[in-house]
Order: sequence, then structure tokens, then C-alpha cells
Amino acid sequence: MLLGIGEPLVGRLLTYDALGMRFREVRLRRDPNCPLCGTSPTIKDLSIHQAAGGDACEAVPERRGVATAPARAGG
Amino acid sequence: MKTLKDMLAEARQVIPEQGPAEVEGRLRSPEPPVMIDVRDPDEYRDGHIEEATNISRGFLEFRVAAAAADPATPVVLYCQTGLRSMLAAKALHDLGYRNVVNLQGGYQKWAQSGLPVVKDAALSADQIQRYSRHFLLAQVGEKGQRRLLRSKVLLIGAGGLGSPTALYLAAAGVGTLGLMDGDVVDITNLQRQVLHTTADIGKPKVESGTRMLKALNPDVNVVALPTRITVDNVMEIIRDYDLVVDGSDNFETRYLVNDACYLAGKTNVHGSIFQFEGMATVFAPNAGPCYRCLYPTPPPPGLVPS
Repeated sequence: MLLGIGEPLVGRLLTYDALGMRFREVRLRRDPNCPLCGTSPTIKDLSIHQAAGGDACEAVPERRGVATAPARAGG
Repeated sequence: MKTLKDMLAEARQVIPEQGPAEVEGRLRSPEPPVMIDVRDPDEYRDGHIEEATNISRGFLEFRVAAAAADPATPVVLYCQTGLRSMLAAKALHDLGYRNVVNLQGGYQKWAQSGLPVVKDAALSADQIQRYSRHFLLAQVGEKGQRRLLRSKVLLIGAGGLGSPTALYLAAAGVGTLGLMDGDVVDITNLQRQVLHTTADIGKPKVESGTRMLKALNPDVNVVALPTRITVDNVMEIIRDYDLVVDGSDNFETRYLVNDACYLAGKTNVHGSIFQFEGMATVFAPNAGPCYRCLYPTPPPPGLVPS
């Protein structure tokens, strides 16, 4: 991406299973209902993160996302 | 006998010219032309149009094929004021390149129009050796290396993901690396956080990280940020960087970084792992989904450890 060559993983999720030694690729699409980048965004600044705790993570509870792989936070 | 004026007039009959604004528009289109700067290397180094390869006038006929193998390739030539490049364009035309345009007014007019230019320091003899493996790659070359040296990447987290990322970016010659982590090195980190050593246990990760990266590649300017990223500092910090790499270790930070990057128009390279599984993707604002598109809500606390 810095060089502007190749195909970055925009819209693709690359998953790696180290035990099975397998890579898998999942197509990702934008969610039109996303509160941040959707057609009618509700998050327009970072004020939601001013609240303490994990409240900021849940902008719109009960909404299903487009992910087909479970969330991982480890880094 | 022809005069210089005759030669230029002859060239103008077959070579069209386009002004800076028009050429800039073409560069941003889906099929940009190949840009060639026909000035001497020292002129190029003092300031050039970023997309341009430097093939000086004297070598043009001999080296043009490396920049544009197919004579049908759309090409734009420029020099300082548009005269050398006009004659150069005529030479390419004679070689069979029929889609050559001269930049009217040259680099001078481009720069005066306020259009972006870049300036590079010459690569030292050491750098030419150090990055020699990059020069062997057609898609990189010296031009690509200069671009890496001008780039700025922010690494959020100098742990399991940040470690290898920082090491390889530094090795490749990314000129500025922001290393952000508020933690100290713990013995349990050393099983995977290869940026740190046993002697660093107890020290701030950005301190050992900076030392390791500078030892690997002194060309890299490491910006040590020994704090956690918070809602109060995130926008200010990410502003200076071309790319953000999110190697953080908790959901709160991931949502914060996602939101901040989207709002600031910064591309966010996202990686995460858990036990034997890893995943990576790139969140590019408006070009693809963001983290919230994928995970509108985090998993219930306790189900997936941070």
C-alpha cells in the first residue's frame, strides 16, 4: 500500500489456521446500515468513546454485522 | 540546415501538449499515463512529480522500454520548462511511441500551479547496498525505495502483532515509524513479541522497541509514544501518518481506532489473533467496509479474551 502496488486486503479478510496450515479468504462488504460508514451514519465524531467502559463498542445493539468469522481482539 | 527553432516547430507539429491541471487529472484517473522526467538526476532529486520516473534526455531512447515497453502506452514527458521534453517527445514519436504528450510549461509551471511535488535526498552508498534487494524488483526499484523512505506508519501496539510488523517495516526502510504502547516488557511477552529481549524485561516496550528498530536500520526515524491510545489523543496522533497498523489487544481500542481512522480518512491495517487463528484485513475509508460493518457489537465479556 505504501508503494501503491499489488492488491491490498480491502474488502477481503484473510484468515490463517496455524494448526491446519490453511489460509482462507472471505469477501467482505460494506454494511449500508453501519453507524459509522453506512448511508445514514450516526457516529460523526468520537464522543461515543467518551463514555466509560465498553459502551462505545455498541453503537447500535442488536444489529447483525457482515462478518462471517468470529471477532478476535488479540494482538 | 535546421535551427533549434525549426526542430521545436517540427516537434510541435506531431506532439500535443497538456497543461499541469489536465495531466494531474489524468494521473488520478483509472488509467494514468507513464510519466517520465527527462531532466538530469540532480534536477530530479531537487524536486520532481511523484509519479515520474527519471530517464534523462541522453538515455531516453535506450531506457524508455523499461518504463513503457509497449509503444502504444500513454506517456507524458516533462523537463524544467517544456523545451527539452518537447524534443525528447519527438524522438519517442520517431521510435514509434504515438501516444506521447508534452507537459506544457514543464516542472516549473506544475510547481507554480501549486500542484504536489516531492523532493528526495540522494540514496547513500550504504542505502544502495542495504536496499539492493528492493532494486531488483521491477515493482519497487529506486523510486519505490524513496517512496518507502518518505512514508510514515503508525503502529498501535508493540506486542504480538506490532513486533514483527515494526521489524519488517523498519528493515524495508519505511522512513518514519510511530510506535505506540503504554506497557512494559514482561517475561510472558517474549514467547512471541520478538521486538523485545530478555534484558528488556521491566522496561517500557517503546524503549526496547526503539532501540531494536534503530539497531536494525538507522535510516528509520522511530517516534516513541509510551502511552495508550485514548479518545483524547487519537485524532492528533494519527493525523501525521500515511497508514495506521492496528495491533492493539482489546476491543475498546479497536473500535476507537476504527472510528478515528474512518473520520480522519486514514487507512487502517487490521490484524488480530487468538490461539492458533489469525486474521488480517485493510479498512480503507469508503473503499471497503470498516470494523463496525463486520462487528457491530463486541462479543459478550468473557467469551473472547482481549
